[in-house]
Amino acid sequence: MFPVPRINDSRDVACNVATLKSWQPSASFELIKLRADTLKQIRSFFDKNQVLEVDTPTLSSASVPDPFIESFQTRYIPLTQTMQTEQYYLHTSPEFAMKRLLASGSGSIYQISKVFRQGESGRRHNPEFTLLEWYRDGWDHHQLMLEVSQLFTLLLSPCVELAAPQFITYEQAFQAVLGINPHTVDKTDLLACVAKAGLANVLDDNEHRDRFLELLFSHTIEPSLGKKRGKKRDKTNNMPGICFLYHYPASQASLAKTGMHNGQLIAQRFEVFIDGMELGNGFYELNDAGEQRARFEADNHSRKLMGNNEVPLDENFLQAVGHLPECAGVAIGIERLLMVMSQSQHINDVIAFPFERA
Amino acid sequence: MATYSTNEFRSGLKLMIDGDPCSIVDNEVVKPGKGQAFNRIKIRNLKTGRVVERTYKSGESVEAADVMDTDLQYLYNDGEQWHFMHPETFEQMAADKTAVGDAKLWLKEQDMCTVTLWNGNPLAVTPPNFVVLSVTDTDPGLKGDTSGGGGKPATLETGAVVQVPLFIAIGEDLKIDTRNGKYVSRAKD
Repeated sequence: MFPVPRINDSRDVACNVATLKSWQPSASFELIKLRADTLKQIRSFFDKNQVLEVDTPTLSSASVPDPFIESFQTRYIPLTQTMQTEQYYLHTSPEFAMKRLLASGSGSIYQISKVFRQGESGRRHNPEFTLLEWYRDGWDHHQLMLEVSQLFTLLLSPCVELAAPQFITYEQAFQAVLGINPHTVDKTDLLACVAKAGLANVLDDNEHRDRFLELLFSHTIEPSLGKKRGKKRDKTNNMPGICFLYHYPASQASLAKTGMHNGQLIAQRFEVFIDGMELGNGFYELNDAGEQRARFEADNHSRKLMGNNEVPLDENFLQAVGHLPECAGVAIGIERLLMVMSQSQHINDVIAFPFERA
Repeated sequence: MATYSTNEFRSGLKLMIDGDPCSIVDNEVVKPGKGQAFNRIKIRNLKTGRVVERTYKSGESVEAADVMDTDLQYLYNDGEQWHFMHPETFEQMAADKTAVGDAKLWLKEQDMCTVTLWNGNPLAVTPPNFVVLSVTDTDPGLKGDTSGGGGKPATLETGAVVQVPLFIAIGEDLKIDTRNGKYVSRAKD
């Protein structure tokens, strides 16, 4: 492993970015090389574990109905111009196509692909980014969390000193930080908790309770996940670690199976955090076609209520879901991983030509 | 009423928040892979100088503050107000004690200052980064002591007191950095 530059001062980074000309890359060649080496290591990891690399389309005639994910849209124009043009979407993750492979009997598979999400731009977001997504045939999300931990430890340990991985439930995190049970707290107590956190007036009181949980989560819980506090109040003693959060509210199941835990219906879903930053999301994959269609239709209904366009459902995927084996899958943002490895404060430090220079 | 949408948020943007004009210091997009996006901003209240955090649901709009910086020449202080003039239109404007704040220690007649206007009225005054002010009072100078070791207080023509080297004498013109209130050097003619 070559030496990784440590960039600790965000002001230096901002200054660095500002002084470079826009035709030049915003990432240093050290970090461009770090990306190449990391992708090589990931491929070798999956090769050793006998997970097959696959390649699925970037363009799709259907898209994801998640109310908080917007796709880029484009049109296919036949050369003859005699036919109508057709609407296509750039994928926001290769999930649907990869599950069609799993349902067809591929066994465990992985893919490293560029994905596209509208409007997501900032210190930790680039509208086009690299996703590592993999599925383990016959596994559940608990087994997959262990493999994510193994891969992260392999990639990160030469670059940063890591605390031992942590596995906590969504409920435990809320109890520890805010003293509420996110599954059972009533709306009045939830609003009181939001106000106490200084976040009153951000949302309308009549919004869905999940929006308030997300608000509390991203402002008061997420920043502390995957951060082991050093002794005393010395910040230099703080050590990053890998933190898995699992068993989300059933209403946030997305494409995960639901299940019972301590008498509570929960989503068999997890997310992984390092140093207060989300790196990935995983599911024990739902393989009930009727339930999946109902969730998509509910998503499209939410979109309509929010004044957004409904999206055409992926019928190929919906037909495949019922044939999906028991499996678990996860998607990891490669740029975020590179940020942790290089201690970068801005995603532009790990992308040769970020959105503003694309 | 002019407004800005959260996607226009950037450092330096001026917003009306709780009835006060504020300037964005930092804008962070908080967007989980699954779930609602928020813009979390740090804002400086331009009246009080205090920095606070605020969160908005992405896509919302916030009222814009009519705040602009103008370069004006400082004319004089009448005991209550500080008077400034636009160098081209000769339009005059008066700023009160709250707007001038600590800048009063560095205001020298005829110097160009940045006056921040809110709805056309002075909100804050920023002196030039460096000013030349003469010493009105200090202990007698020690001739030949140019070592810079140690120092003594000196009162300047504006009433400001700065720490200066021992060799500085009454009547000398000094260059002062107004951002930290420190002596830089003797003024060169």
